[in-house]
Amino acid sequence: MIHLRDVTYFYPRATVPALAGLSLDVPAGQFCAVIGANGAGKSTLCYTLAGFVPHFYRGKLTGQVEVAGVDVPAASLAAIAGQVGLVFANPFNQITGARFTVREEIAFGLENLGVPLDEMRARIDDILSFAKLTELAERSPFALSGGQQQRLAIASVLVMRPPLVVLDEPTSQLDPIGSKEVFAVLRDLAATDEATVVLAEQKLEWVAVFADRVIVLHEGRIVADGPPGDVLASGDLTQYGLQPTRYTQAARAALAAGLRRDSAELPVTLEEAVEYFK
Amino acid sequence: MTVNYGLYVPKQSGIHSLHPLTKLAYLGFCLAVSWVIPGTWTPYLVFLLGIVPLSALGQVLPNILSGAFKAVLPFAISLFVVQGFFWPEGTVLQQIGPFSLKEEGLFFAIRGAGRILMAVSTFLLLSYTTRPDELTLALGQLGVPNSIAYVILSTLQIIPRFQTKATTILDAQRSRGLETEGSLRVRARALLPLVLPLLLSSIVDIEERAIALEVRAFGRQGPKTSLLVLHDTPWQRLLRWLLLLAALGVIVWRIYAALAPRFLS
Amino acid sequence: MDRLKSDFSTVGIVLMGVGIVINIAMGRIVTTLSLPLYLDSIGTIFVGAVAGPWVGALAGIISNLIAAFFGNPANFLPYIPVAAIIGFMAGLFSRYGWFKLWWKFILAGVITGVVAALISAPITAYVNSGVVGTGMDALTAAFRGMGMSTLQANFLQGLSTDPLDKSISYLLVYSIIQALPNRYLDRFPRAEYVR
Ligand SMILES: Nc1ncnc2c1ncn2[C@@H]1O[C@H](COP(=O)(O)OP(=O)(O)O)[C@@H](O)[C@H]1O
Ligand SMILES: [Mg+2]
Repeated sequence: MIHLRDVTYFYPRATVPALAGLSLDVPAGQFCAVIGANGAGKSTLCYTLAGFVPHFYRGKLTGQVEVAGVDVPAASLAAIAGQVGLVFANPFNQITGARFTVREEIAFGLENLGVPLDEMRARIDDILSFAKLTELAERSPFALSGGQQQRLAIASVLVMRPPLVVLDEPTSQLDPIGSKEVFAVLRDLAATDEATVVLAEQKLEWVAVFADRVIVLHEGRIVADGPPGDVLASGDLTQYGLQPTRYTQAARAALAAGLRRDSAELPVTLEEAVEYFK
Repeated sequence: MTVNYGLYVPKQSGIHSLHPLTKLAYLGFCLAVSWVIPGTWTPYLVFLLGIVPLSALGQVLPNILSGAFKAVLPFAISLFVVQGFFWPEGTVLQQIGPFSLKEEGLFFAIRGAGRILMAVSTFLLLSYTTRPDELTLALGQLGVPNSIAYVILSTLQIIPRFQTKATTILDAQRSRGLETEGSLRVRARALLPLVLPLLLSSIVDIEERAIALEVRAFGRQGPKTSLLVLHDTPWQRLLRWLLLLAALGVIVWRIYAALAPRFLS
Repeated sequence: MDRLKSDFSTVGIVLMGVGIVINIAMGRIVTTLSLPLYLDSIGTIFVGAVAGPWVGALAGIISNLIAAFFGNPANFLPYIPVAAIIGFMAGLFSRYGWFKLWWKFILAGVITGVVAALISAPITAYVNSGVVGTGMDALTAAFRGMGMSTLQANFLQGLSTDPLDKSISYLLVYSIIQALPNRYLDRFPRAEYVR
């Protein structure tokens, strides 16, 4: 689904590359989390997958970028639009404002794709219930809470059925309740094996729960790549400006205090922690 | 909060369910007649016969009357003073101190106020009975690009929210001791710190808003569909053409009537 | 043709919308502070500056349509051509490099104000029968009292406010452009003219 080879990218005027010789392959159906400190290049990677690097930001891109069979640097943004869905942090800026209800807002992308009316209605009803927005369908998008707006943004993208869905820190501007709502939707998304998902995220506890694979970015490079259990429990995490989950931290503290001896498998989720401390 | 369609007054009426272009053609015809046909009272007659009954049918008559009154009143007062009292020469009707009310000026003012009344009330009747997205969809059928519809609809919705933000900042600045009352200079100086951050943040947001639109295939060429469906009938289509022709006819007749004496004499 | 297409790119379109929001919100704030100015074309001028004359003109046109919706239609609908010219001129000033020095901004504002007064006058005179429906009409009355025609009176009345209003508007646009990091300016279709 994703094939990146030696991708290096400089923003205009930049002297340091935002992506530095990055290679990555993601098979269809995988839920892949990208973690890394602020400035590590997560957003840039997301924009590259969706074609905004280089088509929108210009700058200098070298290497191979192939997403859902599309040669990204050679294609137009309009051609990539149906193939890659992008959701980002600010829910307000993702509302087009050109539609008056939640239902119509979700329809916006389908209208632009020229989807016939009957199919459009069916797809919207499906996605409304998937994102738990059915009750809010006739409300104004501006009257929703941050978490509801972000679920609307996700629904608006999913309804277009892009083979690849990219989410760039979708909960970083939400309160805890809103974040929880959004993660619930992401968990359901991970459970369906239809879409391939790339999620840039700093909240490692959530990543640990539903990612198939975790990639650590640092200064535009991939510095770790593997199953969540391995990557998130690794001792290198702090070196890349990341905080291990509190379960890992607790286990490590217990280890240091001599309460536990087996250093083999540190827990990264609540369930694993319960098991670990039994 | 429910959906806010701006000036639109949600009602079940025959006028509401007319195709927007039919309303547009009808209102254009009324406006042409009221502006082009001479006579001090013509605009008022068109208002009474053309606008009032339709407003009543559309259950927005009180809205039209109060909306039009509020909009026309300042113009009417100005017209009465500027044209009524400062008309260069003419029949003096009334002398008040050094000023004299002249008949010609008064009639000119009455007709002028009537024309403004018609301009305002046609605009309001359309806005009260037509959802903005229905109107832009109808304009799309005339070939107005999709992007224009986007600009109109999104600004309609963002302006009230922007205003709320501005009020919040205004209050915050006030509580920090910034003068928003007082002398002209003080108020003018208050302006920049108040608005600059607001303007900058809305300009910075443009980048993300554009990305969000591209993700939704906004830039895609080719046929588009619409969840909103407009109701149209052959009768309405015929009526629109007739109204358009009639409006053109009135205008052409008026131009002919104005020019003919010069060329024929 | 390609130039026009890039002017009206998605960024250009969103920019146009934001310019319109700025126009109308500014117009309202100014009223709140009861300043004797309009400042309701700052957005149009900014759009013209960074996206060229055509996007600027269209921003002006739609702005007046929308303003009619939020205010008094009689104050906005007839003046659509004025708004269009203001946006178009901003695009031209930017094209010829006027948007790099602060004093050229003021000069551009004065010129724009004179042109705006020139075009507004016949509209006020023939469409709105010579009045604008505000306290400004006292001035028109005074000029009328001196024996001037409605058209002349309207022109002088416009001249008494427009050049000042537009040069202050241009100065505000100058401070916006100065305050915007290049990283954001870069996005706009004609950023190269104002950097
Ligand atoms: N539009 C831009 N122009 C120039 N540099 C940018 C831009 N966006 C991000 N950068 C730089 O690129 C690097 C990677 O940033 P980003 O991808 O946003 O990281 P993350 O999302 O992981 O926080 C940072 O050094 C950042 O300053
Ligand atoms: Mg980021």
